[in-house]
Amino acid sequence: MDSPWKKWFPTLMVFAIFLSPLLLISPKTYITLTISGLAMGMLLFLVASGFSLIFGLLSVLNLAHGALFTWGAYIGFTSFGLINQWTGWGGSESIFLNITIFLLALLTAGLLVALLGVITERLVIRPVYGSHLFQIFITVGAMIVLEELVRIVWGPNDEVMPVPISFMGSYDLFDVVVSKYPLIAIAMGLIIYFVILMILRKTKLGTIVRAGVENPEMVQVMGHNIYRYFTGVFAVGSALAAIGGGMWATFVKSIHPAMGGEVIIFALIVAIIGGLGSITGSVVGALLVGLSYNYVAYLVPKAALGITMLLLVVILSIRPTGLFSEGT
Amino acid sequence: MNPVQQFRLEEKGVRFRNPYFFLRILLLAFFVFTPFMFRSFEVLDVVLKIIIFSALVASYDVILGYTGIVSLGHVLYFGIGCYSVGIFMGNLGWISYGHLALAFLIAIAVSGILSVLIGLFSLRIRAIFFAMVTLAFMEFAFILSSQLRSITGGDDGISFKLPGILAVDYSIGHFLGIELTGRILSYFLILLICMILFLFMLRFVHSPVGRVLQSIRDNEPRSIALGYRTYLFQVIASSFASCVAAVAGACFAIWVRYVSPDSSLSVSIMLDVLLMVIVGGMGTLYGGIFGAAFLMVTRAFLPKLQVLVGSILPGVPMAARLSERWLFYFGLLFIIIVYFFPKGIVGTVQEFFSKRRTS
Repeated sequence: MDSPWKKWFPTLMVFAIFLSPLLLISPKTYITLTISGLAMGMLLFLVASGFSLIFGLLSVLNLAHGALFTWGAYIGFTSFGLINQWTGWGGSESIFLNITIFLLALLTAGLLVALLGVITERLVIRPVYGSHLFQIFITVGAMIVLEELVRIVWGPNDEVMPVPISFMGSYDLFDVVVSKYPLIAIAMGLIIYFVILMILRKTKLGTIVRAGVENPEMVQVMGHNIYRYFTGVFAVGSALAAIGGGMWATFVKSIHPAMGGEVIIFALIVAIIGGLGSITGSVVGALLVGLSYNYVAYLVPKAALGITMLLLVVILSIRPTGLFSEGT
Repeated sequence: MNPVQQFRLEEKGVRFRNPYFFLRILLLAFFVFTPFMFRSFEVLDVVLKIIIFSALVASYDVILGYTGIVSLGHVLYFGIGCYSVGIFMGNLGWISYGHLALAFLIAIAVSGILSVLIGLFSLRIRAIFFAMVTLAFMEFAFILSSQLRSITGGDDGISFKLPGILAVDYSIGHFLGIELTGRILSYFLILLICMILFLFMLRFVHSPVGRVLQSIRDNEPRSIALGYRTYLFQVIASSFASCVAAVAGACFAIWVRYVSPDSSLSVSIMLDVLLMVIVGGMGTLYGGIFGAAFLMVTRAFLPKLQVLVGSILPGVPMAARLSERWLFYFGLLFIIIVYFFPKGIVGTVQEFFSKRRTS
């Protein structure tokens, strides 16, 4: 009876929130805000999807995710600096070289943080699988240690994140100001979303992971070493957090050791709204949060975080498990 | 006779033979005589913060150790208590005993209602949602308190004066060689309040409701099968603990006479509370005292340790940074304790003695 309503509810909700500010904001500002909202949403998606996937498969509430995000931002910062010193691509006018160095920095961040994630998972989280209470504690401990390590290695102060030359500035389309970097962020987010979705839907690996989200014991019965997949998903989630961190740092043009803690709150909200363990849910949740945050920040700056909380409360009251179910 | 009554009767029988009973009396005596033994304000400050944080950590333990649900936003209610006193005394400037009492009542009412609301919609599905939602709400409150400048004073916070005998410049004369100033009197007032809170919590966890909470912690499906609506009991526990935390927060505000987002609502206080609970031991209530004492004393000595490291290894920036980041070692300690002593100090000691008794 109510299945079509349930099926279309999330989509309708997105469109309602998407269009309602037009009543209050002029169309040109609206488009600018929408683009920055979409960019923020995509960056949040990168953080939240890893968090959500890890929770879905491992059922670990990984509070150290924010610290991994910070690590990604800092490694991206350092590797960008090093490559730029070596080749000078970041300062050149060519957009191709700019994108190459940007992707190289993100790749380094992703790979190194994936390694860090594997170490964290093996060393810290694996011994406490199955006990929710101790998992939360242990990830809080890991969060403190990782964040303090950032302070020890890079120092406690803010740093200015270098941005490739052609990423700065904006286009002027029919009097509408469109910044360049948000477009790149949206494109990157969409590409990563579709890659993850294709891997989950079309490959054997993805099938096993989705099955593991549904029922880990059954996957083990079928002869797959589920712990190997746990580590793998943790590594991928960490890499996504790191890429998100690097891109976020380029977005706000500065990095500081506590940045992960601020973003992880958003990621938590996004993951809960979208439904823990669902990639599509993360995208929808992230876009909802990003867009509503930007519109409200323009209209009533002080209520921006309030609207995010309101969204969380409303959605949890209507659909207590989030918009999408696990494994989608 | 039901099991609870039987337990009480048994406890009454061995009350004066129980070594823990005398330990408690000793502890209380220590707290009462601290102002007479140590003249320096620093020591008094550390001891009083131990007292307040013991109450806060014990209230957190009611949720965590006795009910088995994880809240990551417990400090929110502590902050509500702080700000309630701060706003009444500082912002509105209503400096009188009646308004102080009113601030306490409002703090209790607001945190009780808020925690019931948060519990009602986040505990419904999975207890793990509770951790995330409470964390998000605490962060929200933190940002709100630093943004609403006209009410909370923003990042600068509010400093305020207290009425009558609690004011700093008040004095009623000398007793046992010390001057009974407003500071000392507020020390005793807070000690009294925290002791009452503690006894209240002990009574709560040993009441029939507390028994149900422990059964939920140990085996939730079974307590559902026994006919308890576990969800409602969890909400009761969380709102009770929140009210206690609010009173502890109001006491903290009375002692420091200043509230700001960083000193009363931040995530770092939540981390402190978590660490204290873990060090002291979950599900013991008394663990909170030891956890708070450990953390507060260590923290008081840390600056001296830094100077020591600086004098041993001068000119090594990495060493200076490593000694500065004491939170790093606390994080490591946190992980180590969770692995090897998941019961904390009090739990491990209790286990040791009970093993010796049986063998």
